[in-house]
Amino acid sequence: MSGGVANVAVGPRAAARLLRPGWAAERRRAFLIGLAPALVVLAAITVAPALYLLVTSLTPLSLVRPDETAWNFSSPWANFVELAGDERFTNSLWVQLRLSVSTVTLQLLAGLAVALLLNARSRFLGAVRATFLIPMVLPPIVVAILWKVLYTPEISPLHRVLAALGHPMRALITDPSWALWAIAVADVWEWFPFTMLMVLAALQMMPAEPLEAARIDGAGPWPLFRFVVLPLLRPTLVVAALFRLIDSIKAFPLIYVLTGGGPGTVTEVTNYYAFVQAFNFSYWGYASAITVVMVSGVFFLSWVISRLVGLEVDVE
Amino acid sequence: MDEHGATRPVTRRSILGTGLAAIGAGIAAAPRRAPAQAGRGKPFAGTTLNVSAWSGPYPKWLGDYVPEFEEKTGIKVNYETPAFPVYNQRADLELSTKGSAYDVLNLTFIYSSRWIGAGWFTPLNEFLSDPNKTAPDWEPGDFLAGAVAPLKDPKGNVYAFPWIADAYMAAAARYDLVEKAGLRMPETFDDIVKLLKAVHDKEGVKGFVNENHHGWTWIPYLQGFGGNVFRNPPEDLMPTLDTPEAVAAAEFYANLLRAYGPDGILSYTYDQALNSLQQGRANYITFNQAWLVQLGDPKKSKVAGTVNYSLMPAGPKGRFPGIASHGFGIPVGSKKKDAAWEFVKWSLSKDMMRRMLTEKGYGSITRRSIIAGPEFKQKMTINGRDVADLYLKTIDLAARGYMKYRTVHVYPQVDKQIDKAIELITSGQMSAREAMQKAQANSVADLKKAGVKL
Repeated sequence: MSGGVANVAVGPRAAARLLRPGWAAERRRAFLIGLAPALVVLAAITVAPALYLLVTSLTPLSLVRPDETAWNFSSPWANFVELAGDERFTNSLWVQLRLSVSTVTLQLLAGLAVALLLNARSRFLGAVRATFLIPMVLPPIVVAILWKVLYTPEISPLHRVLAALGHPMRALITDPSWALWAIAVADVWEWFPFTMLMVLAALQMMPAEPLEAARIDGAGPWPLFRFVVLPLLRPTLVVAALFRLIDSIKAFPLIYVLTGGGPGTVTEVTNYYAFVQAFNFSYWGYASAITVVMVSGVFFLSWVISRLVGLEVDVE
Repeated sequence: MDEHGATRPVTRRSILGTGLAAIGAGIAAAPRRAPAQAGRGKPFAGTTLNVSAWSGPYPKWLGDYVPEFEEKTGIKVNYETPAFPVYNQRADLELSTKGSAYDVLNLTFIYSSRWIGAGWFTPLNEFLSDPNKTAPDWEPGDFLAGAVAPLKDPKGNVYAFPWIADAYMAAAARYDLVEKAGLRMPETFDDIVKLLKAVHDKEGVKGFVNENHHGWTWIPYLQGFGGNVFRNPPEDLMPTLDTPEAVAAAEFYANLLRAYGPDGILSYTYDQALNSLQQGRANYITFNQAWLVQLGDPKKSKVAGTVNYSLMPAGPKGRFPGIASHGFGIPVGSKKKDAAWEFVKWSLSKDMMRRMLTEKGYGSITRRSIIAGPEFKQKMTINGRDVADLYLKTIDLAARGYMKYRTVHVYPQVDKQIDKAIELITSGQMSAREAMQKAQANSVADLKKAGVKL
């Protein structure tokens, strides 16, 4: 990070800088005062609940027995020890991994492909682009209900068409081999427009010179894409992947409506398991521990990815 | 019998007796006004009440009448009826904080012991004993004792009054197909299989359908095979989900779903199952009377002319149809308890319940005086079948006490384990034995975690 707005972090050195007389310190103080209300709100609505979550994860809090379990720190690591041996938790991580990898990969590919197809300035393509945004702007629960209709053979136009073509299809969401992939398809449909939008924006802001130079040098469409366009798109794709990866770990409405984590636990991702522990069984301590592990995982993952690709976010 | 008439086991004779006595006492006489109401206008005008109950037929239809209540009292009501699992999660969380977000909530049967035991609902006795708050003609003793019992604590304090005594029975939406096959309504579990073999996929109609809340729908089969959820509830809560009887019952029921249900049956909610029957896409079901009588309503159902009903068939060890009651009560955190009580009284008054029967065709009536009246018999006679009689017989059966498993405070956890086990068997991921052993082990672990001494 370089100076300016982003440099108001309050560490010992920063505090010393703030107290120094002079115009630069005055400017920093002004920034800090300006930012203060936003930081207070942020602390109140994110940091405080996160801290509460962390503290709760060290207790056996169960809402049915709050007297014995709230603020009970007699064995703070018990939840985490239990998690290590909890098959359903391990299974949920594995389900999460498969779902995240498949949906993010497919969304990147689909988003990139559609963006390349639609990357031209024309009124018609503009209308098509707007149509492609519909899945993303629908409320997630509406998307889930829509897919529930599509996946229920009794009432599904999709199943009816396939049957009419002589290829009847079994119900996917109740078939253990297919349920997770059925959710992945719905998720890709819902979220590939996000990647598409980001890639489109990047394509439309792409400098024309390198493309022209490559064309003059005789590059065909594939080498042009492979060696010029793709490297220029890389940062955009990484950011899109990171956003979608973090979002995929929050996948909930589709699973809640389509499968409830079933059949059995085939589609039970980690956050759904945390939800079951908290909202069905009232084990808030245990659910918090699951969430803490999950959040740590997301932070670690984000850090690794941003390091791998040398992503530098400069706020100046 | 105590002042609420809720300790005497209910029998048909007592229901009819009380009903007739009430008629004899001049039930048609002009209702007396509560002293409190005389000369007072709208004491709660300007109050806002937040009311929530899950989307059972009574709460759903009550929404149509709420404007009348607002008109009458000047109280504004924010009224919502989410789906069953959503409602329970929301209410459980809200109640546990003893917050004041809701003024009237449904006291869910499966959570009754937990919510009452934790002190999250308001005892209603103080309202009942004050003639200024409850007019004598509201008659708490008029409610079916069996339906009120789960809504009380061991000391006899009552926390909610029931809008439903949901009786588990059986229906064939396309009974014409059953007759064509030379069969009748099943009397036993074996008869169910015979019927399904004969009618499955006839005229494009699936043989069987049910909702995916197996922790409710499967239990009559479990008990019919001689099994139970716990060893001896509520005293001995050792789960008994891996007994040979439980395994046989799970195998039997999963086979009904797998072999005779619509493709994707494991994803069916109660609304979907009912819709499937109403549209004539599925034939036979064992489920709750309050829903099943809706198949006889020509306005909503394509099978109104062909539907037939029976008691839940008997298993090798007898007949165990489920009974669930749900009621309106007042959360302990509500800041507007008096106004909330006005709503509870209005929603379950004789007049409101009678209108629910006559105007909406609601079948699960919980007031004796209405059950004994001519309208109930008339409304509940569908295609010549006396469903009122089946309803009362089912309530009689449940008086034997086999429903005690359901109001155990840790049942919600076990309920979910049962759901998963039936899913695993039906979807072919595990054998019945493996799945039930897993459900047993998980339930034991859950119960220990909840502090139950096994």
